[in-house]
Amino acid sequence: MANPILQVENLQICVRKKPGVLILRGVSFHVNAGETLAIVGESGCGKSMTSLAIMGLLPDAVEKLSGTIRFKGRELPIADNRAMRKVRAAEIGMVFQEPMAALDPLYPVGKQVLEVIEEHEKLPREMAWARVIDLLTKVDLPNPETLAWSYPHKLSGGQLQRVVIAMALACNPDVLIADEPTTALDVTVQAQIMRLLKRLQRDTGVAIVLITHNLGLVAHTADRVMVMYAGNKAEEAPTRDLFLSPRHPYTRGLLDATPNPERASAQGGVLREIPGTVPSIADPMSGCRFAPRCGNASELCRARFPEPTIEGAHGYACHHPGTDARV
Amino acid sequence: MDRVKSLASAILRDWMLLLGLLLLATVFFMAATAPFFFPQPPDTMMGPPLQWPGQYPGAPLGTDGLGRNILAGLFYGAQISLLVGFASVTVAMVFGILVGAFAGYYGGWIDNLLMRVTELFQTIPQFMLAIVVVAVLGPSIQVIIFSLAVVSWPAIARLVRGEFMVLREKAYVQGCIVVGMSDRRIIFTQILPNAMSGVTVMSTIMIATAILMESALSFLGFGDPNVTTWGTMIGMGKNNLRDAWYIMTIPGIALLLTALALNLVGDGLNDYLNPRLRSQRGQ
Amino acid sequence: MKPIRRRFPWAFLAKRVAYGALAMLVIAIINFFLLKLAPGDAAEALAGQAGTADPVYIAQLRAQFGLDQPLLSQLWAFVVRLATLDLGYSYVFNERVSVLIFSRMPATLMLMGAAIVIAVIGGIVFGVTAARYANRWPDRVISFVALLLYGTPPYWIGLMMILIFAVTLGWTPTSGMENVLAFNTGWDRVVDIAHHLILPALAQSIFYLAIYIRLVRAGMLEVLSLDFIRVARAKGISERRLSYRHALRNAVLPLVTVVGTNVGNFLGGAVLTETVFSWPGVGRLMFDAMFQRDLNLLLSILVLSSFFVIVANLVVDLLYAIINPTVELK
Repeated sequence: MANPILQVENLQICVRKKPGVLILRGVSFHVNAGETLAIVGESGCGKSMTSLAIMGLLPDAVEKLSGTIRFKGRELPIADNRAMRKVRAAEIGMVFQEPMAALDPLYPVGKQVLEVIEEHEKLPREMAWARVIDLLTKVDLPNPETLAWSYPHKLSGGQLQRVVIAMALACNPDVLIADEPTTALDVTVQAQIMRLLKRLQRDTGVAIVLITHNLGLVAHTADRVMVMYAGNKAEEAPTRDLFLSPRHPYTRGLLDATPNPERASAQGGVLREIPGTVPSIADPMSGCRFAPRCGNASELCRARFPEPTIEGAHGYACHHPGTDARV
Repeated sequence: MDRVKSLASAILRDWMLLLGLLLLATVFFMAATAPFFFPQPPDTMMGPPLQWPGQYPGAPLGTDGLGRNILAGLFYGAQISLLVGFASVTVAMVFGILVGAFAGYYGGWIDNLLMRVTELFQTIPQFMLAIVVVAVLGPSIQVIIFSLAVVSWPAIARLVRGEFMVLREKAYVQGCIVVGMSDRRIIFTQILPNAMSGVTVMSTIMIATAILMESALSFLGFGDPNVTTWGTMIGMGKNNLRDAWYIMTIPGIALLLTALALNLVGDGLNDYLNPRLRSQRGQ
Repeated sequence: MKPIRRRFPWAFLAKRVAYGALAMLVIAIINFFLLKLAPGDAAEALAGQAGTADPVYIAQLRAQFGLDQPLLSQLWAFVVRLATLDLGYSYVFNERVSVLIFSRMPATLMLMGAAIVIAVIGGIVFGVTAARYANRWPDRVISFVALLLYGTPPYWIGLMMILIFAVTLGWTPTSGMENVLAFNTGWDRVVDIAHHLILPALAQSIFYLAIYIRLVRAGMLEVLSLDFIRVARAKGISERRLSYRHALRNAVLPLVTVVGTNVGNFLGGAVLTETVFSWPGVGRLMFDAMFQRDLNLLLSILVLSSFFVIVANLVVDLLYAIINPTVELK
């Protein structure tokens, strides 16, 4: 295995002072240097909470119950805001979903990129500003010298997201967390942003944690995929393995619900949805949380949570994993 | 622990509304029972002058420089405060709603014209305008009510206009237009009832402002000379600032509590009528 | 690194000046008809209320107002006199009205300026504190005191301040703008005036302080919940910088507008504050004019104050555009 730069072990997050109400129910994964790990799941599955936890930006309403997050071997003090400030942007950068709301409307965009550099590096102003222009050039923004002085309301969503990416990469972090970076953008712009992220990864060697609900996006960009369901890790595999031989019924359901021209005929051209809804986080069920929606669920599934099974690089948590390879 | 806290905060919120209602009820009680408890007019000499509170049994809150019973003044003053506050805001509401409704419903040049006039009235310093109106028309309760209405209506007009502009685009209003309901009916039976919650909250708070302004006019000596108001009492008491400060302190506290009551009730009504906003205000 | 300069909004300015002129015209017309509402004709009202029933004076006023002329030409004459600042003569004060008002203006502006500064700074400091401790005890205390102050009669709080700080504790003078008998000059005079200014400015600011605290608190809470604050946190910048550079600046924007709309109220409030503290400004002049029934002077003060509010609002709008780049003045 390559060298893991970020390791999350048994992370449990609960509603503050309510240890019974778990948002993350013990999630472990790692990110290798320079790779792209996609975290996939529907809204509310805990994927965004995982990314906020890594940044030490958990909302006041929740808290970490147990688990560790290691970055380059040392544990991140995620509850210590002051200590985490040195990690944010400098070592782990983050890109958010809503570029239109991500920038302070009252400052030129260049200044907001500059702010990151000023906060983390002692650099003469001129040099820092030159870096800002350089960054804006690297994210393919036109006329960076002029654009740096534009206010956010003058830029398009795609341009703003490029600025946010420039901000996240301003101090050459080792990991970039991209939380639904293209969801709020037009389809054509989505592809541009993803290409940009991949190119920047090649140039800088930054590892990317791509958080998304869009499996289509994952297929072309991620090295490995982790599927989450209701606060648990359902399955984790190299992208190709996951798409070709998904083991967890939830993953299979997700794949069936994703448009895919190559497989359209096999499905009879129909997208199948997963029946039922996600259980409430307050529901104290002891078995597999997917059982109520699963066609293969047995008494065992409803009684006991499945321990993870590891087969090489492929891992899943299911009592009755599917085995058939997909077309 | 968390539950106790949220319960406490819920009670605290309601408790403030409760306090407001209680205080307001007290003021109404004072106004209603003034002639019963104090058959003689409040400007009659009831005892020796400058008696401190508790010093003279006939006047529990003391007497002023002319031997008038301060407690009686408080009771009768409550009548004037409530009368002026409620009457002026009612007049302002009627006018403000009319202007705001027409501006917001019809839009275009009507809106432009009405709103420019409204802004104009907001440009003229309110209190100065009230003084000048009283100066021209002479100091009487009616004139004071009129002058306070003149300075109060623009705020209501702007609020109503804003609500109307939003509401007239709603599907149900568009539906009324499509089925050919008359404008007047749409304005008064369809839109206005839905715009009233904001107006009610604002009016409650404006009554407090009107009461304070009336007291300020009386304090300066520009009030109706035939009635005793809290403002006049403070104005008189200011001459005894050094030796008998209670004379001006007591009616001031009455004013403060009345205004506080109205503001508490306004806040409470706001939470009650616009529960959506509750999260923005507190939690 | 050079910022791009924005063009000065001349078109906006021209439009607003034109609108301001129109507004003044309408205000003049309102005043004209207000005068018509007074019992008797304007000359009798003006003269009678000024305490001189001298027929010569009344005749002079009639001619001055052109009361023998048709209504429209009377109105035109009235407007022309206002436009040329020919506001007439005050027999009560033996001085031209325009001179009288302008000589009192500086004292009022000083008082108003001080009150606005106190209210704004206090509003920001307490509002930010309340927002930072939202729903904990510092917030509860600040919010309740603000609610209390909001309902306090401003002239009464002035009297109470005199009672406590001037009479009982002796920390400040009770009234006036300076100790004239001391014949202070230079720095000593500045200190003396500042000493006299403290209480009236505080008294005048109290009501607005209460409003601004509530406004800043609500604004801060709203801004702190916005996305860009979380993004800024993810940049690793300090909470201090976050509060003051990003949150506060966004939260204070609405405050600027509100202060602008309050300028007229500050002027109106000056009548009370200046009367309570014997502060020799326009407000006190208005009280005296009312007391002496000098109707012409009263109306002139009202018109000039409105003019001042219009100018102040224009300045505030320009200022707002400077601090808020998303606003485009058209």
